[in-house]
Amino acid sequence: MLDLHDKIEDAVAEIKKQWDKTPHAGVILGTGLGSLVQEIEVDVAIDYGDIPHFPKSTAVSHAGRLVCGTLAGLPIVAMEGRMHMYEGYPLDMITLPVRVMKALGAELLVVSNACGGMNPNYRCGDIMVIEDHINLMGDNPLIGINDDRLGPRFPDMCEPYQQTLVDRALKIARKEDIVAHKGVFVAVAGPNLETRAEYRFLRTIGADVVGMSTVPEVIVAVHCGLRVVGFSIITDMCLPDALKPANVEEIIAVANEAEPRLTTLVKGVLAAENS
Amino acid sequence: MPSDTLSYSQKVSEAAAFVREQTPTIPRVAIILGTGLGNLATHISPELTLPYAEIPHFPQSTALSHHGQLVIGTLEDVPVIAMQGRFHLYEGYPVMEAVLPVYVMQQLGAEILVVSNASGGVNPKYNGGDIMIMNSHINLMFRKHQALANDELIPPGSEQPGTLLYDRELIELALRTGRKEDWAIHEGCYVSLTGPNYETRSEYRMVRAIGGDVVGMSTVPEVLTAHSLNMRVLALSAVTNVAKPDALTETSAEEVVDIARLAEPKLTAIVTDLLKTL
Repeated sequence: MLDLHDKIEDAVAEIKKQWDKTPHAGVILGTGLGSLVQEIEVDVAIDYGDIPHFPKSTAVSHAGRLVCGTLAGLPIVAMEGRMHMYEGYPLDMITLPVRVMKALGAELLVVSNACGGMNPNYRCGDIMVIEDHINLMGDNPLIGINDDRLGPRFPDMCEPYQQTLVDRALKIARKEDIVAHKGVFVAVAGPNLETRAEYRFLRTIGADVVGMSTVPEVIVAVHCGLRVVGFSIITDMCLPDALKPANVEEIIAVANEAEPRLTTLVKGVLAAENS
Repeated sequence: MPSDTLSYSQKVSEAAAFVREQTPTIPRVAIILGTGLGNLATHISPELTLPYAEIPHFPQSTALSHHGQLVIGTLEDVPVIAMQGRFHLYEGYPVMEAVLPVYVMQQLGAEILVVSNASGGVNPKYNGGDIMIMNSHINLMFRKHQALANDELIPPGSEQPGTLLYDRELIELALRTGRKEDWAIHEGCYVSLTGPNYETRSEYRMVRAIGGDVVGMSTVPEVLTAHSLNMRVLALSAVTNVAKPDALTETSAEEVVDIARLAEPKLTAIVTDLLKTL
């Protein structure tokens, strides 16, 4: 991890050349959620390829740009397109943008993802505000010699997702009549979807939804001292006793349909930061 | 010969030969001193102290409160070899590097491995400061251990053990010491994760749900190695705090080290009692 400090500085220097504001928040947009970007008053959008040490994003429906601008009256940087472990990227590379957001001055990380719902009380298209997570990816972005300039050796994880932000998001959801739950996200490496037996296992260990992202970024956000709020859109239901084949097009369609609701919540949370 | 052209077993042999050149002592017991438990080494009458940096092919130790040296000497008149400072996977060592000292200690003659660690309790019957004797583990470290099937490293003439990882007789001895000394002592299951972050509330619940009593970031790779080499294993866990996922408070590394230090006299007594029986 000792080379991270220099990589962060390189990336920050390039971004600052093109954008001179200090972001309040960093936003990571997951599968099918990239068009939230249309809500941003964009100052500049920088291709990942033009930012030193940023990986290229390859997953379906991901663009791969860092969008700098204003959302809900706050300066933000948004990752349009994220990197996944199943694409073969090492976790320290996947999470570098989070450290760059912090180094640019952000104090809040907003993450979103598309996930499979395992809690039978959820429905396809619902939003879950992430209350906690379980890391079953079999890897951790903090493995390696710790750079104490970036964060502590053993970060505490008793509240990775700030409870006040969870409550705030749920309150906005109720006010706007959006179905939103509070639950536990379990991260697996993928890329295959889970077997029925794996869904039963993940449900048994306490998870409400399952996905292949987000947890590495959140671990690094906690390590470097960012507050975090996370949203999952349940894009397919994974009920092991009535499991149907998953379809990527359908998943993306559900995500797109849910996106205006996610946008409302994200804008609401950001607007409350301002007040 | 440059070290990158050596096979793993050649590296083990070179490291063992280097130690053997410095002392004729043949250790019977290997001891790995975990977080906050390093001072057990002060009870050893040392014949030789070797910083890891001087031993060929040894990795270097970076973790909090670890010194990083091999101590050879006698404890209760039994020749022992102790690792003061150990190698954690969260520091980035591949498994095979982290466990290399276990192969070396076995090759030097050790027949028993005593390993200690600091762990977080998830069994609500436990309290901070209790001792748990490991009778099983759940390995959630997701790391490859290439050499467990490597015949070259298994002592000739020995069969794969196929027995319990944790030696029943040694567990009983340790529990007896605990009863004799009147401490809270348990036997239970250790769940290993790589870390380095402490667990989330949901992860503590998971660890409990799958059968774990405590959770930690070490020990399992060394135990698997020792067992594959037919060593008898005793693994002691100092429970530094009990996680209550429904009312979780922050955990700090300093706090863990402080409580682990309180467990030192207990672990020392268990180890010395064990050595007296040999």
